[in-house]
Amino acid sequence: MRPTDCKYQKTHEWCKIQNGIATIGITDYAVSHLSDLVFLDLPAKGASVKIGESFGEIESVKAVSSLYSPVNGEVIDSNKDLPDNLEWLSQEPFGKAWMIKVKVTSTSPDLLEAAAYEAHCKAEG
Amino acid sequence: MRLLVHEPAEAAWNMAVDEALLTSGLEPTLRFYGWSPHAVSLGYFQGIEDFRDLPAELPVVRRLTGGGAIHHGDELTFSLTIDAASLPRDIGASYRLLHEAAIAALADAGVTSRRAPQGPAAGARPADRWCFAHPGRDDVVTDRGKLLGSAQRRIRLPRARVLHHGSLVLQRPHLTPFAAATADTTACTAGFAERLRDLLAMHIAGALEMDLHPGELTAAERALATQLQRERYRDLAFVHRR
Repeated sequence: MRPTDCKYQKTHEWCKIQNGIATIGITDYAVSHLSDLVFLDLPAKGASVKIGESFGEIESVKAVSSLYSPVNGEVIDSNKDLPDNLEWLSQEPFGKAWMIKVKVTSTSPDLLEAAAYEAHCKAEG
Repeated sequence: MRLLVHEPAEAAWNMAVDEALLTSGLEPTLRFYGWSPHAVSLGYFQGIEDFRDLPAELPVVRRLTGGGAIHHGDELTFSLTIDAASLPRDIGASYRLLHEAAIAALADAGVTSRRAPQGPAAGARPADRWCFAHPGRDDVVTDRGKLLGSAQRRIRLPRARVLHHGSLVLQRPHLTPFAAATADTTACTAGFAERLRDLLAMHIAGALEMDLHPGELTAAERALATQLQRERYRDLAFVHRR
């Protein structure tokens, strides 16, 4: 079971909001379908992110994929060590493989609870 | 599936059209095009610093797809833009499907090729800046080397879509002398290139179980491509972003 204190997007990002700050990453499901990761691009501190728009990109050996923000707001931190330690995404996707922290101004109305996200993943196959 | 056959064009236009087809296209589209003038395309994550030695007159564009750089000369270039649900869910399987279609088309045109049984270790960063330097597992190769360069971009919004790029070498470009080329085994006439293009289209459509029909860019796709050409692919800030 994935963390129940996180919310999930159908595009396979997770976010955990505490005191108006969202910590955002991608789920184990996303990681398992990408595999063989080689590059990760994250926004710099101070950048704006918008719901449904790309906040970064990740490259596996054979495909570049976009990462989508579940919130509107300003990036206050990004995980600078992650691009050089992409194996963390397989090891701890909800822990040390967090990607960005955002000062939230609004949140996507379409976020899923863990159980609903689980069902979504099963439906995708 | 819509079939587009475009005349050789500027690198920035070529990449802009493919992005427009990815993000706003509504039907599966197989597009063939060429490069005039010849150009180098960088993989999305490649650093421009690694290419400072290129001839100054050679245009450089950054692709939306990943992988290594390609010197686009006399080649058969195609893009497939399609809903992700129409391809195998596994990324490797989607490559194998399209590579098998290319191998079948090449065989019908008299060129023997195969999927490479092995390649660089999974997860390794590219060993060389050039796409054709080191065939990876399942790449289309001949005894001479890698014949087809492939790369993908995947988006999930507004819909889950895939852009698959293919570059099939007809005559080896001088910057990548290690590449294979159809000219290694078959005279590379204009007629041969057209026949191979038609065979590729037929086999790719067959592999996807789709019918092919000739088409054109829509006005909306053309307008978006024009905007992307100006604001992204001709923009040095994008070309030099890494």
